[in-house]
Formats: sequence, C-alpha cells, structure tokens
Amino acid sequence: MIGEGIQSTNQRKHSYVQDRVEVGFFTDPSVCIGCKACEVACKEWNEVPDDGFIWSGNSYDNTGHLGASTWRHVMFLEQDRQKGNQVTGPMGLPGDPQSEDPFRWVFLSDVCKHCEEAGCLEACPTGSIVRTEVGSVLVQNDVCNGCGYCVVSCPFGVIDRRPEPLHDAGGAFKCTFCYDRQKSGLVPACAKVCPTESIVFGRLDDLRALGAKRVQQLQQSGYSDAQLYDPTETSVRGIHAFFLILGEPEAYGLPPKPQIPTIYLKSAWTSAFATAIASIIVTLVAFAFFS
Amino acid sequence: MPTHYEPLESPVKNALYSRDTNPVVNWFTRQENRFAPPGDPRFPFVLTTYRLTEHHTAGGMSRFLSHLAELQPELFAEMSPELATELKVKNGDYISIVSLRGAIESRALVSRRMRPMHLNGKTVHQIAMPFHFGTSGPVRGDATNDLVPISGEPNVTIMEAKALACNIVPGRLPRGPAFEEWIKKYVPQGGPPNLHPEQPPPGASPGPAAGGHSQHGKTDSR
Repeated sequence: MIGEGIQSTNQRKHSYVQDRVEVGFFTDPSVCIGCKACEVACKEWNEVPDDGFIWSGNSYDNTGHLGASTWRHVMFLEQDRQKGNQVTGPMGLPGDPQSEDPFRWVFLSDVCKHCEEAGCLEACPTGSIVRTEVGSVLVQNDVCNGCGYCVVSCPFGVIDRRPEPLHDAGGAFKCTFCYDRQKSGLVPACAKVCPTESIVFGRLDDLRALGAKRVQQLQQSGYSDAQLYDPTETSVRGIHAFFLILGEPEAYGLPPKPQIPTIYLKSAWTSAFATAIASIIVTLVAFAFFS
Repeated sequence: MPTHYEPLESPVKNALYSRDTNPVVNWFTRQENRFAPPGDPRFPFVLTTYRLTEHHTAGGMSRFLSHLAELQPELFAEMSPELATELKVKNGDYISIVSLRGAIESRALVSRRMRPMHLNGKTVHQIAMPFHFGTSGPVRGDATNDLVPISGEPNVTIMEAKALACNIVPGRLPRGPAFEEWIKKYVPQGGPPNLHPEQPPPGASPGPAAGGHSQHGKTDSR
C-alpha cells in the first residue's frame, strides 16, 4: 500500500515462491499517472528488445498492444466522460459558462492476466508453458518450439511470437511475472518502480480484498462507473493480474466474457464423432443401393 | 505586490498595464533573435513547450536508449480539434511551424486536452510541443528550440521558452534551397532587429534594474 514506504508489499522482500502462496497484480487506473515506468523497468530487467520506433498518433500511447516484445502496456484513453464528480465547466468553449464539457484522460497499465485456467498453457504441446508455485503462467523459452498454438488460444491476445531479426525470434514470449526475481524474494520490476502504486503486487486474496475496498471508496467519491475486472464467472475462472476499471471493459480492449478455447473441445469432438458415424452410414447405404 | 506582464511575444496586449512586458528583461536584440510585436497577424498562434516523461532535456541521453525512445519516437505538436478544423489538418498529418527565428516540421496530435483560449474577446489557439528531438539517434526530429527566442530573466538569466508566437502551415517543410524560398514567404528577411515596440535597439544597456548575472547594476560594496 502507498504510504507504507519500504514495508509496502511492492518493496519488501518476500518468500512467496518458497511458501507457495498465490500472488497477483492489482492495477488501479484511478491513481496511474501514465509515466510508463513499468514498461521501461520491464524491458530493462527482462532484456526485451524494442519493437519498432513508430509514432502512433493515439494520444501518448506509442506501444499499441501487448506482444512478444511488450509485456507491459500503458493505455492512454481520452474519453468524453466525466471523471468522478469533477466539474470542468465549458473547457474554453464559447457560450454558456455553466455548460459542462466533460473530458477525462485515463491510464491503465495492461499486462498478462495469468489466468486461473490459461488458454496458452492448455494449448502448449511441448510443455513449455507451466504453472509456477505462485500461480503465474510461465513460458520456458528454451523448451518452446514456436508452434504458435498459444498465440491463438489466449483469450486476451497477450502472448505472441517474436519476429525476425530480434534475438530468440520464432519463440513465444509474454510476461513472466518476473519469476526469476520472485524466486529471490524480489518484487516484479513493474510493481517495484510504480511511483503511485497503481500496480500493487502481493498475495492474491489480500489484493482481492484491497480491490473491493478501493471500488467502494471510489464509488463513494463520485466514480459511479468504477468496477473490478476479474472474470471469475467465465471459463478463465479468474485472473491473477486483475484491474479496476472506470467504465466498460471494452474501452480498455478487455473482453467482457473471456473464454478459453478448450471449452469447445467437447462439442468439437461430438460433432467430429457424429460426422464420422454419419459418413459411415451414408457409405453403407450407398453400397446397399448401388451394388 | 504581485503583478502581471505578458510574455515577450504575446497575441494580446497587457490587460493590467499600459506596458506589456517585464521592464527589466534582457532582450539580447539581434537580427537572428527578433521578437514579434503584440498581436502580430503573421504569427497568430501561441506555442508552448513542455517535457515528456520518456525523455530528458533535449533528448541527448534518452533518444539513444531504445526502451525510452520507442515510447515517444517522433516530434509532435498537440492542438485542439477546433484548430485542426481551422487548419484543415487531421491527426498525424505533417505541419510546419514557423516563428521569427526559424521553422520546423512535426506531426499533428489532435486532442481535446488542448482547448482554445478566449483572451480580450478574441479566440486564440495554442499548440504544445515537446523539445526532446534532434538530428541524431534512433529517433530523430526537428528541434523545437529552433523556434524559441533568447531572452534573459534578470535574476537568473533563464530564457522565456514557454510562451511564444508562431504560424502553422500544413504540410512538410521543404529542405535545401527550397527552404530558403519557403521561409521568405512567412518570415520577412531584413528590417530592424527590434520589431517589438518595447524592445531596445541592439547593444543597448539593460539598465541598472537588470541585476543578477548582468554585468550592469552591480556595485562592489567592499
């Protein structure tokens, strides 16, 4: 928590890996200042290469989306909506000085959600993607053969294969939840550097309680559209990196009902089986009629 | 008593006094360092400069680091949708920005974060540009400081780089000999170096009021 100094769960050493405690990220855009320190710290610690120097023209967001070489992505949303109960006035427009011209600039640091039931993990044929002691989903890049099944299986579009000519090209990459740091008792790099503790790292059950409290606090202070994004009702069954969002999840590129592809296995196999039976019957009937 | 003076280049007259600018400022009057008079119709827009979190000063230390440079890879000028409509410019288009000191090009970033201002009954548009770009490194761009005049606040000799007058021309800036022809259309060559009515001629003493780092007005009391 902010204000706890080096005693904050974002700063102090821990033994979550040794104790096999489920950990998580709680990301709160209501205090994010859009400094992108998480993006830079992530790339620096994990030695992630740049993915092009392209100016997007979309506010200050020149990152675009998560990918093989972007494991943290700060979104910049410019919305014609009121922020909390902030009164803006006509914002420089001529006319009625009492008229409201609501506007808000919302920042949200997006990351791999480390799903409870992970689509990428279930699709991986090599066993490269594993569940760690702390509940995060880890890609072991020395095992990955670059088949790309995980890329299409991720309900959030997080994981991707790294293109040529970058190093380790062909393999799939995503946020590691700084598993290497956590094994040594360190906090993930993004949470460690977050100056406002918009990214909170800690025990997942503590964070869920903190998130619920924060939503209540914001709603009482006029942020009537504050809600938690933690899809526990769908086949993903909850995420380890969950978010507080202002407004609808679609505005942040978050699917309102994410589903993992393996839930379609039963219906897929049933229809395959039915097709097989049907074609055998058709063949036998054809022989019966024409022989 | 606190007071208010207009910036050295301003689209309006001072609403508080008959004098527009700070009387003790050092203007450093030179032909290359001319100031537009108040409300100059050739330079109707206000330009302000600012920093981005991703870069440091003129970018000499941050433009060469890929982790930082990829987050802000190009120079841009933020403008309101109202100004973009007036200039017939879309988000991401190239625009040329010209002041009495020079001209640069950048991309237009149209955002409702920028709003038109209403000063003395007229609508004044403002653009905002970071000054972190230059001619080398993985990300390059024109230097916004090329537009900025040199002036000296008398105590600490910090120049006024946050408010200046400019003109905006849609499209990219021509380079080479074509630039010389282009700039003549927008900036008058020749003429007196002190265009601002309150600006002293070149070489004039800043006066005893200009203390601080100025050589004038200092007395040795020992």
